[in-house]
Amino acid sequence: MTAPAAAPTPLRQCLELARKDLRAEARAGEALLVTAPFGAVALLLVPLAVGTDTPLLRELGPGLFWVVVLLFGVLVTLRASAVDGPAQLELLRLCGITATTRLFGRALANAALLLGVQVLLAPVAVVLYDPDLSGWPWLLPAMLLVAVGLGVLGALADAVAQGLAERTTLGPLLVAPLAVPLLLGATQVLAAARYDRGPWPWLLLMATAVLVVTLAAALCAAHLEEAR
Amino acid sequence: MLLPLHQPPAPAPRQAGVARLDGVAVNVERTPVLRGVDLTVLAGEVLGVIGANGSGKSTLLRVLATLLVPASGTGHVLGATLGTTACSAVRSRVALVGHTPALYPHLTLAENLHVVARLTGVAAATVDGALETVGLAGAAGRRADRCSQGMQRRAELARALAAAPSLLLLDEPHAGLDADSRGLIDLVTDRVRRAGGACVAVSHDRDRLHTLADRVVEVVDGQVRATREVPA
Amino acid sequence: MTLSGARLPAVAGVAVAAGLAGALLAPPDRLQGELVRLMYVHVPAAWLAFLAFAITLVASIGWLWRRRPGADRVAAASAEVGVFFTGLAIALGSIWGKPTWGVWWTWDPRLVTTALMFFVYLGYLALRRATVDPVSRARRSAVFGVVAFVQVPIVHLSVLWWRTLHQPPTVLQPGDPSIDHSMLAALLGNLVAFTLVFAVLLRERVRLAAAEDALETAEESAAAISPAMRCPRRGWRAPVSEWAWVVLGYSVAYGALGGYLALLVRRRVRVRWRAGQSR
Repeated sequence: MTAPAAAPTPLRQCLELARKDLRAEARAGEALLVTAPFGAVALLLVPLAVGTDTPLLRELGPGLFWVVVLLFGVLVTLRASAVDGPAQLELLRLCGITATTRLFGRALANAALLLGVQVLLAPVAVVLYDPDLSGWPWLLPAMLLVAVGLGVLGALADAVAQGLAERTTLGPLLVAPLAVPLLLGATQVLAAARYDRGPWPWLLLMATAVLVVTLAAALCAAHLEEAR
Repeated sequence: MLLPLHQPPAPAPRQAGVARLDGVAVNVERTPVLRGVDLTVLAGEVLGVIGANGSGKSTLLRVLATLLVPASGTGHVLGATLGTTACSAVRSRVALVGHTPALYPHLTLAENLHVVARLTGVAAATVDGALETVGLAGAAGRRADRCSQGMQRRAELARALAAAPSLLLLDEPHAGLDADSRGLIDLVTDRVRRAGGACVAVSHDRDRLHTLADRVVEVVDGQVRATREVPA
Repeated sequence: MTLSGARLPAVAGVAVAAGLAGALLAPPDRLQGELVRLMYVHVPAAWLAFLAFAITLVASIGWLWRRRPGADRVAAASAEVGVFFTGLAIALGSIWGKPTWGVWWTWDPRLVTTALMFFVYLGYLALRRATVDPVSRARRSAVFGVVAFVQVPIVHLSVLWWRTLHQPPTVLQPGDPSIDHSMLAALLGNLVAFTLVFAVLLRERVRLAAAEDALETAEESAAAISPAMRCPRRGWRAPVSEWAWVVLGYSVAYGALGGYLALLVRRRVRVRWRAGQSR
């Protein structure tokens, strides 16, 4: 028998799990080739429903973009290619992967995919709505915080609804109300930058929301597993 | 491609118990599945567990894998008491080849094995060697969901080989394997027992189990009933 | 709970009757007129919503700590009663808002937070319904219950900032912040009465959960706003009399309370009957 090799650190395990999720997504194309185009359709449908009044759409544009990112982003976090069946879960547990490591591995992959979805949807929103983009560099940290925050919330919803038939219907209801600080922060960052008010408080709010949910998830995730 | 499988049975030392259950009862979704199970798994043996569908034998494997906590009774696996945090330390020394393959459908067979190897700190060369041993070196680049059940089973056995576990748990090991591949089970179990580990194989196929196992116990209605030595 | 049987409901009933009398006998408000009477049912409902969710949090932590099934039943019961009171608080707020502001809904931060909380705990209850195994259900809902509750203050803070920074602060101050003594007494009386009703409902719901658990075992082995914050919109007159709105609000409040209690009692009677059948 080979001498037991030193087990990798939880951080390395997280990165490895995220890499595995991203590779599966690269093959399945669920988030970037299905959900993101569906989000683009939603951005196209709204003017058809509320009217094609250009000044109005210019005002609505950023807000609609973020609503679409939030709602469709939840679908990204609940993608089918990231479902661990009972057999895969047993395998991961026998590899010594804790529920916390699993949750943050998933959150990491979610965050990367959510950034991708935002990068795909942002040009669509700009073309369709022609919003005022002054102060746009402030969007970058906002996008990052939305990706991370939504990624963690989605991974948490996924973990508490693990193995339930209702997972994909339950997930959005569990995530959306808790993601409100991210939505408000993201929409207000650009508005604040445009009116020369510092967007810092909003970024700080988003960062606090992300931090709190991450800490709560880190403290609670271990309880999701019966046999530790 | 397959290496010679039949080697003389290993003179394995039978002393310390690899796993021991005393009066273990387990409920799954509130339903009692196992009750009052006493069982010892000795080092160097292949223990066969026979039983009808729904008798609780797969649950028994999950208890031995430290994945389920007994509702009552005590159990020790590789020195760790079931239900304690000590289990997490020994869990990586247990390998389970389940009834349904634990493969990520979008990844290739090789990627599946390499992910697990990196998660547990097993060298990549060990994985490649194991894939070759089970005759999958040529098909390792194929996506798992495009492989036959037999190939998936062989990939699982390769993963068990690479992990070199102290306790190997096999759930219906012969299912989905063609006659040529069945010798792989003997090869894998033999490697484990030679290294001083133990195997537990669960099946409803009495004949195949008797040829594989040193000792067979029967699970009837959640209880371990009969124990009998298999003549060598 | 040692107050078994009819004593707690009897005390709650007397308190509710006294509270109702106080609410109807208290003088009308200078600005709000008779509509102020809606406050006597709306404020207690909103308070109990928060109390209920706080109990859910404590019980969830308690379950994670000691793994006692009783803690999970209290968490579940309190969440359901909390969703009921949150819904009631929103409905009563709307009934007060329509004649006062001319709209059923306004983007007041507390209103938005309350509505969001309503949905968070609706999700919590949906998660519970989706899980069959009691231990797995307790585990999942306890984790979600804790994470959800710690996020609620940040949700409220974000909505508060959004209203104060996004719009010029047009929040009108009430002319006289002090409140008439008899009005204060009526409010406090109703707070006490509603809290007693809450205790009755919670106890009934916990007992129902215990009876359901026992039945399952047997079969196996065989959802805030405070009205004083804003002035009525000038120039807008309620199309119907203020008393009509008060009557509507009280009907909704007491109707819902009675209906919910009756539903819980009926469910428990049924569970008992089924338990008798299976015996």
